[in-house]
Amino acid sequence: MLFKNLQEWTLLLCILGITALLGNWLGYSILPLDALPGMIILILICLAGFTLNKLIKINFPSIAYIALIGVLVSMPWFPGSGHVVTWTNNVELLALTTPILAYAGIAIGRSWADFMKLGWKTIVVASLVLLGTFLGSAIIAEVILRIQGII
Amino acid sequence: MMGLWKDWRLHGLVLGTVVITEAIGTYQFSIGPGVIMLLPMLYAIIIGLLLYFTPLVKEKQSKNAEPIIVLGVALLLAKIGVIIGPSLPELIEAGPALLLQELGNLGTILIALPIAIFLGLKREAIGMTHSVAREPNVGLIMDRYGISSPEGRGVMAVYIFGTVFGAVFMGLIAGFLATLTPLHPLSFAMASGIGSGSMMAAASGSLVASFPDLENQIVAFAGASNLLSLSTGLYISIFIGLPLTEKLYKVMTKKRENVKDVA
Repeated sequence: MLFKNLQEWTLLLCILGITALLGNWLGYSILPLDALPGMIILILICLAGFTLNKLIKINFPSIAYIALIGVLVSMPWFPGSGHVVTWTNNVELLALTTPILAYAGIAIGRSWADFMKLGWKTIVVASLVLLGTFLGSAIIAEVILRIQGII
Repeated sequence: MMGLWKDWRLHGLVLGTVVITEAIGTYQFSIGPGVIMLLPMLYAIIIGLLLYFTPLVKEKQSKNAEPIIVLGVALLLAKIGVIIGPSLPELIEAGPALLLQELGNLGTILIALPIAIFLGLKREAIGMTHSVAREPNVGLIMDRYGISSPEGRGVMAVYIFGTVFGAVFMGLIAGFLATLTPLHPLSFAMASGIGSGSMMAAASGSLVASFPDLENQIVAFAGASNLLSLSTGLYISIFIGLPLTEKLYKVMTKKRENVKDVA
């Protein structure tokens, strides 16, 4: 079962990777061949995270494993971390987000009818919910970072 | 999720969308003292949504797209991980700010709840404003009040709004507020991590585009804060957010209920 899943994940990550490499080229002028090693590293990190999530039977999400592995292999004392950092620097963060949001757009089309039913009051309150969280967190961060003298 | 890679129609449409949006590139314009950034990812979500209403996309493509988003977010988190690694010393230094700004999520209750009650919403307001209404919070409300309760309807309404417009909304306000207010871009970077991958990407993306010199720090702070929100957000809602919302709701609606009782 794990093997079949791995195959599926690998193929899908490769498709996402190729799409992102093209976007990386068009939007940020980084040649696909230059960004390829970095993309392969990122895909391998994802596969390692998914595999750990399957193998270790505790309730820890695979995306958390993936982020932790990414941090681990790029920390200065990790063997080869210099290459990991240099190679992945050629993959722009924003080039990875564009395909995600294209898939998201196609997926949320189905919730559009539900959304239209919400009414204007919901739109006002929901906007304030996001705005409140964003501003509230930023103000607290600002105060603490200033006390610490970081900014 | 077997055989999703074979949905060539879906991948082709996404590839086409990415090519078009990246070729258009980033636009920015000023409104007063603030700057609004229009990024390829914002066009991508809008083009994707429009595509759904064309014959090019069938129900099947829309359903297949959902699990692929998770894989895309996985790739994004791997990238954020390798940015965080080298910045770890800075992050540890900023640790107290990172931890405490999680409480800033409670700002939503103080700002949105009074307005919701003012607009005449009843117990829906509790579901709507107790948190940013991402998946764990929807689960919490469903668990506590049930799926067809007013609170359940409220949390679903904000959840749907966030899903459809969250990334666009956060992308626009992040760049705008960071250029308009005196707050530091790194404070907004921390605030970008609210527990949703696409909203964090949009908000921190706008910040990076506005402050390119701070790119790595912005991404590291936003990524670390998002991971923290994912792991602690639910507990903050359970132990502080939801009880606080219930209490404030009671205080704010007391007057009205008394009037009703007399009548």
